[in-house]
Amino acid sequence: MNQQEGYADDIVKGFVIWSMVWGLVAVLVGVFISFQIAFPQLNFPPYLTYGRLRPIHTNAGIFGWGIGSFMAFFIYITQRLTRTSLWSPGLAKAQLWLFNIVIALAAVTLAMGMNRSKEYAELEWPVASLVVVLWVIFAVNIVMTIVKRREEQMYISLWYILATLVGVAVLYLVNNASIPVSLTKSYSAYAGANDANVQWWYGHNAVAMVLTTPPLAIFYYFLPKTTGVPIYSHRMGVIAFWSLIFMYLWTGAHHLLWAPVPDWVQTLAMGFSVMLIAPSWAAVFNGYFSMNGQWHQMRENYLVKFLIFGITFYGMQTLQGPSQSIRTFSAFIHFTDWVPGHVHMGTLGWVSLVLFAAIYYTIPRLYHTEIYSVGLANVHFWLVLTGQLIFSITMWIAGVQQAAMLNATNPDGSLHYSFIETMVELYPYWHMRAVGGVIYLAGLLVFLYNIYQTITGGKAQAAAQRA
Amino acid sequence: MDSASIYYLGVTLLLFLIFAVIVVRTYSRKHKAKGEEPKFRMMDDDKPKKEDNSEK
Repeated sequence: MNQQEGYADDIVKGFVIWSMVWGLVAVLVGVFISFQIAFPQLNFPPYLTYGRLRPIHTNAGIFGWGIGSFMAFFIYITQRLTRTSLWSPGLAKAQLWLFNIVIALAAVTLAMGMNRSKEYAELEWPVASLVVVLWVIFAVNIVMTIVKRREEQMYISLWYILATLVGVAVLYLVNNASIPVSLTKSYSAYAGANDANVQWWYGHNAVAMVLTTPPLAIFYYFLPKTTGVPIYSHRMGVIAFWSLIFMYLWTGAHHLLWAPVPDWVQTLAMGFSVMLIAPSWAAVFNGYFSMNGQWHQMRENYLVKFLIFGITFYGMQTLQGPSQSIRTFSAFIHFTDWVPGHVHMGTLGWVSLVLFAAIYYTIPRLYHTEIYSVGLANVHFWLVLTGQLIFSITMWIAGVQQAAMLNATNPDGSLHYSFIETMVELYPYWHMRAVGGVIYLAGLLVFLYNIYQTITGGKAQAAAQRA
Repeated sequence: MDSASIYYLGVTLLLFLIFAVIVVRTYSRKHKAKGEEPKFRMMDDDKPKKEDNSEK
């Protein structure tokens, strides 16, 4: 525990560093599998095939980089917003160890082919059980810190943090209910359409409770801290929060349009998905209005650039997502490359840009130093922005072309193109996507170098002061 | 209308009512100053409060 500040910040350092390690793994594997699609000869069975590496990529990205960073910033933010120290620093230390053990076990077991074959819930039951223990430790520590807070009114970030803790717990327990048949194999407790419905209730709400509410908590905290001006409207933030929470959990079945689940379930999911535009854009407007009179900071403050582009990607994502939930649009783009374009706008754009800003903000403060190079941070920004845009735009174009070809029919009703013809047309886009991934990776390496130099500079400074 | 439908309708109405109460309370004139207060307080110094200075 960092006694000087009174907050348990050493554990924040640990989570930030390890999340960056897993983030690098996620992007490295992501770039490699994008090359595997473009050049299938790069598949090396049995361990280094696309089928096994793809879940490692998503788990390392969403859970290693995403959850790891969220754990860091939830601990950092909660202490400051409650004006009290962490309930149990010892428990947090155990949490850091368990977190890394779980992510490492996930990588190894998935590479070995142990997989429940459920999107974002691939881990077999022994590892999944460890995740439950990890989450309970985390949730208890944060909730108890909030309980003993010294601020009566809770700032909006704390609401999003609590929603994440509760939401993930409920989703994870329900979707992971399964019947083990051996140490490495289990079967889902549900069957058929029910299984699909539960899976996509979980799958889409993992996007809600892992990739939406935590970055919003972080955005709402770090934007005002960075600009030096409070957010535009706290009350608007509260209303947007509650409407998001009321609506999000009903939308999962929009992944099952045209599937054998009841029609009313599909329509309900579609309706609530479209309505989600309102709370999502309330957060976007809150961010933009907070910049009123501060837009010059987009040129002068590199952190603002990350945060405002991040919330802009969130806005684009939350227009695209509801549009995709409409039956006719869904029928057109589902199962095409449009979808990875959409998903990566969220993960590489929204989530990661906000996390980069949060790390740039906190690391110099945690190590009592200055950022090593603002110039390199700007290079990092432009590289990841360029890489992300190349990735998403090529995939959107590829998706539309693929959909058009798959839907083209002859006058007699037969398909105009064979499946292999549609695949051949996609290769140029897959090459461009791989290039976009390499550019993003280059940006990430610049970021890691900058943070490494900042940390070592801070340590050297501290050593000099002690001497 | 069977009992399940009545139950679902009841839950829907209840959730809607809860949300309406939250909106009304949040945007009531009486609650305005208090509702906006946290955004100013979070800008304060990052140091934790001392035990004897507890305001909770």
